Amino acid sequence: MNHRGSFGTRDAKRLSVAKVKVRRFSQRVLFASGAIALLGSCATNAPQDTWQPKGPNAKMIDDLQQPVFAVAGIIGIIVAVVIAYAMWRYKDRGQPIPEQTHGKPALEITLTVIPALILAVVGVFTFRVIFDLARTDDTEMVINVTGQQWWWEYDYPVQNEWGITQPIISSGQLVMPVGTKVLLRETSRDVIHSYWIPALNGKRDAVPGRIHTLRLEADEPGIYAGQCTEFCGLSHANMRMEAVALSKEDFAKWVANQQAAYQAPAEGTLAKEGEAVFLNQCVRCHQVDGLKRADGTLAIAAPDENVWSGAAPNLTKLMTRNTFAGAMFDLLRDACRDDVWKAESTEFGAKYLAGVDEACLNVNDLRAWLRNAPEVKPMYANPALLADTNGKYRGMPNLGLSESDIDKLVAYLLTLK
Amino acid sequence: MFKVGSKLFLGLTGFSALTLVAYLVFVERLALGGVALSMVLATLIGLSAVVIIINDGDSEVQPRDVSLVRASMWPLVTVAGIVLLVLGLVVAQVYFIFGIVVVLAALTEWLVQSWSESASDDATHNESARRRVLHPIEFPVIATLGLGVIIFAFSRIMLAISKSAGAVAFIVLSSLVLLVGAIFAVRPALKSAIVGGICVVGAVGIIAGGIAGQGAGLRADLVEAAEEGHYVHRECGEEKSKYFDKKAMKTLSLRSNPVAIIELRDGVLSALMTGFNEPQQVVNVARGNPVTFIFRNFDDSERRMVASLGSAMAPGAEVVDNKDGHSNANETCTQLIPQGAEQALTVTYAKPSIAQDAPLTLTVPGVEGQAIEVVVP
Repeated sequence: MNHRGSFGTRDAKRLSVAKVKVRRFSQRVLFASGAIALLGSCATNAPQDTWQPKGPNAKMIDDLQQPVFAVAGIIGIIVAVVIAYAMWRYKDRGQPIPEQTHGKPALEITLTVIPALILAVVGVFTFRVIFDLARTDDTEMVINVTGQQWWWEYDYPVQNEWGITQPIISSGQLVMPVGTKVLLRETSRDVIHSYWIPALNGKRDAVPGRIHTLRLEADEPGIYAGQCTEFCGLSHANMRMEAVALSKEDFAKWVANQQAAYQAPAEGTLAKEGEAVFLNQCVRCHQVDGLKRADGTLAIAAPDENVWSGAAPNLTKLMTRNTFAGAMFDLLRDACRDDVWKAESTEFGAKYLAGVDEACLNVNDLRAWLRNAPEVKPMYANPALLADTNGKYRGMPNLGLSESDIDKLVAYLLTLK
Repeated sequence: MFKVGSKLFLGLTGFSALTLVAYLVFVERLALGGVALSMVLATLIGLSAVVIIINDGDSEVQPRDVSLVRASMWPLVTVAGIVLLVLGLVVAQVYFIFGIVVVLAALTEWLVQSWSESASDDATHNESARRRVLHPIEFPVIATLGLGVIIFAFSRIMLAISKSAGAVAFIVLSSLVLLVGAIFAVRPALKSAIVGGICVVGAVGIIAGGIAGQGAGLRADLVEAAEEGHYVHRECGEEKSKYFDKKAMKTLSLRSNPVAIIELRDGVLSALMTGFNEPQQVVNVARGNPVTFIFRNFDDSERRMVASLGSAMAPGAEVVDNKDGHSNANETCTQLIPQGAEQALTVTYAKPSIAQDAPLTLTVPGVEGQAIEVVVP
C-alpha cells in the first residue's frame, strides 16, 4: 500500500497565509453585512414593512411575532454571550486539557424541557392565529385574484349588497372597502405566484388549478403596497400589487364608475384615432368592455391565442388605476402620486377616485412601455424565441408602433376612465 | 503545485467554462441550459479550489505499475457513445440524449477503473476499491434496466393476447414465480449456476414472448378502441354510455380547492363556494384557466353534470362528428354517478361570456329548469 507524504514546511506557511487572508475576508464580509442590516433598519420609507400592520389580520400576526421575536432575541443574546465567554475563558493558552465528563442528567433534562415549554407556548398561540386567519365564514366581500406572469387580475363577482350587479374586472390595484372582511379567492394561470400585502396580512400562494383564500381588511383608507413572493420567472421582481382601501361611500362610487358604459371618444379627435390603433393592435390581447369595431360588433380580445397565460390586463377603466404593467410603473407623475399616497384618510378617496388626467399622467413611462415594452420590463417576448410556447408571448411584445401611433394611443387611453 | 487531481478538476473547469460560453453564444441566453451549465461551472470552480487548497490531499503520485493495468472496454463504449451523440445531432434528439448517457456512464466507469488500478500495488485490493465505488451505482441501474425490459416485454404479451388468455398467462406466470421462489427458499444451498440459469431462462422466455407480442400487435378490441377514441370520448346525454360511463369513479381524488362544488339535491342545483355563505346560482371563473368543479349527486338516480363550453371556443376546439355517430359537441361532462357519489370536472373557458351566443351553464341532463350560470369576465 502507498503511504501519504507529510506536510512540507513551505506548504504549511503558504496554507497559514491563505488562512489569515480567508479570515480577514470573512471578517470584512461579516462587518459589511451587519452594517447593511443596521442601516436598513433606519429606513423611513418602507411601505412593505411587516412590522407596521394596518388591519386586524396583519395585527394578529404582529401581536404574535412581537413577543416571539422578543423572547427569541433575549435567548439569542444569552446564548451568544455564554458562547463568547466560553470561547474567551477557555481559549487555548497551552493549559492542560481539563477533565472530560459525560452526562449531567439534571442539566440535560432542564435544557430540553425549557425550550420545549417555550415552543409549546408559542405553538398554542401560533395555531390560534393560523385558524383565525383561515376563517371564511365571516366574509363580507369576495374578490377573485388570478396571478400570471407578471401581473395580477382582480375579478369582482356579482354581489348586489355592494352594488356589483355585473362582474368587474381590473388589474394592478385591488380596490376594497375599508373596515370590511374581504376574502380573496386566489389562483394562477401559469406558475405558482404568491400574494402578499404585508400591511394587511401574510402571504398566500396562488397555485394553478387550485383556489386558495386570503383574508384582507384595512383599518384606514389608503394604498398598501405588496410584492409577489414566489419566484415566478424573469420579471418576478417586477410583479407588484397595491391594495387600495376606500371608505364604503367612495367604494360605492368606484363600483358605479367601473360598471358605467363605455364612452367612445368624440369623432375627429386624436383619441378617436387612438381607438382605431387600439382596435388594430391592442385588442388582440387587451379587452375594453363595450368597445365596438367599425361594423358595430363587439371587439373581443383573444389573449388565449397570443399570450401563454391566456390573459392580458383588461383596460376598460385603465385611468381609474394608478399603475400599469403589473403595477411596475405609476400612471401618475411623482408629484400627483405623492399627493394621493400621502393624502389624509379623509381626503384620500376623492383624490384616488379622480383617477389620472393629462396633467398628472406619467407620460414618459407610458410612452416607453408602448414603444417597446420588453425593453423596460424583462419578458420572454422575442418572437424568435417562442418555439417552446407555440408562438405565444410571455408578457407584452414590442409592437413596433410609430411615434404618431403612440401619440394617438396615449390620447385614447386617457379616455378610459 | 498542480498534481493529478487538481489538473483533472482544472481541466474539467476549463472545459465547462468553454461549454458555457459556447452555449450562450450559439444556443440561447437566459435559458435553463445556461443556468445549469453555470451551476456546473461554479461547482467545478469550488471543487478545483478545494483540491488545490488541500494540495490533492498531499498524496504522492506513484509511478504506475503497468502490470496492474487491465484491458478496458470503456474507451470503446465511450467512442460508441460519441458516435451516437453526433448521430443524434443529425438524426433525432433521442439518439443525442442516449449518447450523452452512454458517454457519461462510460467516462465514469473508465475514470474509476483507472483510479482503482493505481490505488495500490495489490490488484485484488484495487478491484475491491473499484467495486466499493461503483457497485452501489451499477447494481440499481442494471436492475432497473433489466426489470424495465421484463415489464415492457410482459406488457407486450398482455396487449397482444385476449383478455381471458391474459388472465391465464398472469396466473401461470405468477404461480411460476411463486414456485421458483419457494424452491429457492427451501433449498438455500442450490448452486448459483442453477439459480442463474433458471432466472436467465425465465427472462429470455418473457423477452421472446414480448418480441412475439410486439410482432402480433394489439388485440382487436384495443385497435378498435384506439380508432374510435372510446375511452376519451365523452357522451354527455341522460342515458348511460357504453364506454364513457364504464366503471365510473365513485370516489374523488381531486377533493381540495375546487372553484365550486355543484350539488344536485331534491331536484335543485346549487353552487357552494368558499367565501359565500349561501348557495349560489352564478359562478365567476377566470378566463383561459383550467378550473375544477366538483359535482355531488344526492338524487336517487344516476346523474352527470354537463358544462357547456359556449359557441366561441378556443382555436382547434371545433365540434367534430366521429364516425360512430357521436359528436364532441361544445360541452364536456362527468360520468354518470350514483346517489351520494361525487366527481371532479376540469374545464377551461378560453373565451369570455360576452363572446358567447348564450350563457355558459352547468346542467344535469334529465333535471329540467335547473342551471348554474358560469360567468367568464
